[in-house]
Amino acid sequence: MEELKELTKVQLKNLDKIFYPKIKVTKGQVIEYYIKMAPKILPIIADRPLVLTRYPDGIDHDKVSFYEKNAPDGTPEWVKTKRIYSETTKRDVDYIVCNDLDTLIWLANLAALEIHMPFSKINALEKPDFLFFDVDPEAPATLSDAAEVALLLKDKLRDLGLTPFIKTSGKKGLHVIIPIEPEHTFEKTRAFVHKIGIDLAKESDTVVSEFKDTKKPGKVFADYLQNSPLRTMVIPYSLRSTHEATVSTPLDWSEVKKGINPTDFTIFTVEKRKQNPWKNIFEKKCKLEI
Amino acid sequence: MAQEKLEKAKPEKVSAAVPRRSIWSGSITIGLVNVPVKLYSMIYDKGVSFHFLHKTDGQPLKYVKMCTKDDKIVPWNEVTRGYEVAKNEYVTFDKKELDEVKPESDKRIRISKFVDYFSVDPVYFDRTYALMPDKSKEAYSLLLTALARKNKAGAGRITLRTKEYPALLHTYKGALVLTTLRYAYDVVDPQDFEDLQKLKEPEKAELDLAIKIITDLSGDFDITEFEDTYMKRVEELIAQKLKGEKIHIEKPPEIEAKGLMVALRETIKQLEKPQ
Repeated sequence: MEELKELTKVQLKNLDKIFYPKIKVTKGQVIEYYIKMAPKILPIIADRPLVLTRYPDGIDHDKVSFYEKNAPDGTPEWVKTKRIYSETTKRDVDYIVCNDLDTLIWLANLAALEIHMPFSKINALEKPDFLFFDVDPEAPATLSDAAEVALLLKDKLRDLGLTPFIKTSGKKGLHVIIPIEPEHTFEKTRAFVHKIGIDLAKESDTVVSEFKDTKKPGKVFADYLQNSPLRTMVIPYSLRSTHEATVSTPLDWSEVKKGINPTDFTIFTVEKRKQNPWKNIFEKKCKLEI
Repeated sequence: MAQEKLEKAKPEKVSAAVPRRSIWSGSITIGLVNVPVKLYSMIYDKGVSFHFLHKTDGQPLKYVKMCTKDDKIVPWNEVTRGYEVAKNEYVTFDKKELDEVKPESDKRIRISKFVDYFSVDPVYFDRTYALMPDKSKEAYSLLLTALARKNKAGAGRITLRTKEYPALLHTYKGALVLTTLRYAYDVVDPQDFEDLQKLKEPEKAELDLAIKIITDLSGDFDITEFEDTYMKRVEELIAQKLKGEKIHIEKPPEIEAKGLMVALRETIKQLEKPQ
């Protein structure tokens, strides 16, 4: 343990506490997972105000979990935060910004199993630097159905000269994103993403593009609504609060196909993946003409 | 056979022991009517408690008050009370000064109104005391019967020791009991949490399902279905210790820390590499 202290500023605690009871995954294993994934996570979440879902006693449904925007009491001074005034609640919120390994470890040590990020950076909160398509299947539609829709979406976007990237949500959906130059407002990007969804719904019976239709059984919703300031998606490689400890996993487009299952990507399998499909994505920013 | 099972299932009586001494006596006052009563504790916070001992010689430890300036132990006659008005600034009082402003218990439970018992939300409930007849059993019985018949509770106030409480006089298992209440300023209004600001209306299908689950799992509340498992396990451990058995406590594996260090070194190396 002494040696551990030399490697990280974070005082790690309760490492043997079980976080995922069905598969007996401990807090120590969760922290180890995030350490291993840090090189892939940090470049993407850097300079963004983060939102946490903390599970201090693990993920079982009878345990407390909470959504946290404000840096909690006792946040060490070396953790970077960004103060943003919330119009809706009329108060300042000190968001955590995670640009280094120690902060990521600190988040894992806080039992922030799920980490969420907005679509813009702290220096330009009103200007999104990527578009977000939430491909969200409603039962009995599954991830497999969402994959088919995502492939249609990919073709459509590539036809427009854009470069889409994809990840699993870690639950039943898929997240398709396009890095863009941060020059448009959310209003514009939201309208653009909505428009693509409407076109897609015209071409496919499975797809719905409007919020009111989201609960229609068997449909896949192309959700555009998150393209708004401080709305978030779960970060790539975030664990989810599922019994199998599934992970929101960036995929190569060749992996997106029928028969794909959320439980293919868990805390055990993802850290062994050689692929890094979102590597340097912000160097591949598209210029969006809207 | 079935009969036998039924009898086995009958739960044994689970309740705390009757206290020996009353903690207060006075009377319930409703207008001009007085009902003399004695007040007994009725709630115990049992749980398990341990004493701190000195590891090396097994002797009980005691708390002492130490001066934060020179770490010297301060005797009681040198202790006074300070109210912090600003950081590290105190207004001091001696005990006598404070005793003089303490409210006097006037030995009355003053009932001003009768209300529906269920109209008082349990969040306000503080502590319940049993009331037993003092001198006259007739007045007690009359009030008990009338309250039970009307299904009402008396709302009023009582001063216990040095604090005045709002209180509810009600019936419980054929007795009059008094539940002290918290003041409105002691209780958080959950609507003040920002989490509740944008609550979505549930979809009808989801709501129907949720209601069905609730209906299917509905039943009568029985407090004896709940057991304090921690206390039970500690009691088992105590019994084992008394029998001289060694207790095996599983230690968290050190392996975890080792895995973490390997991962940390690897990742730190990777992050130092220019991307």
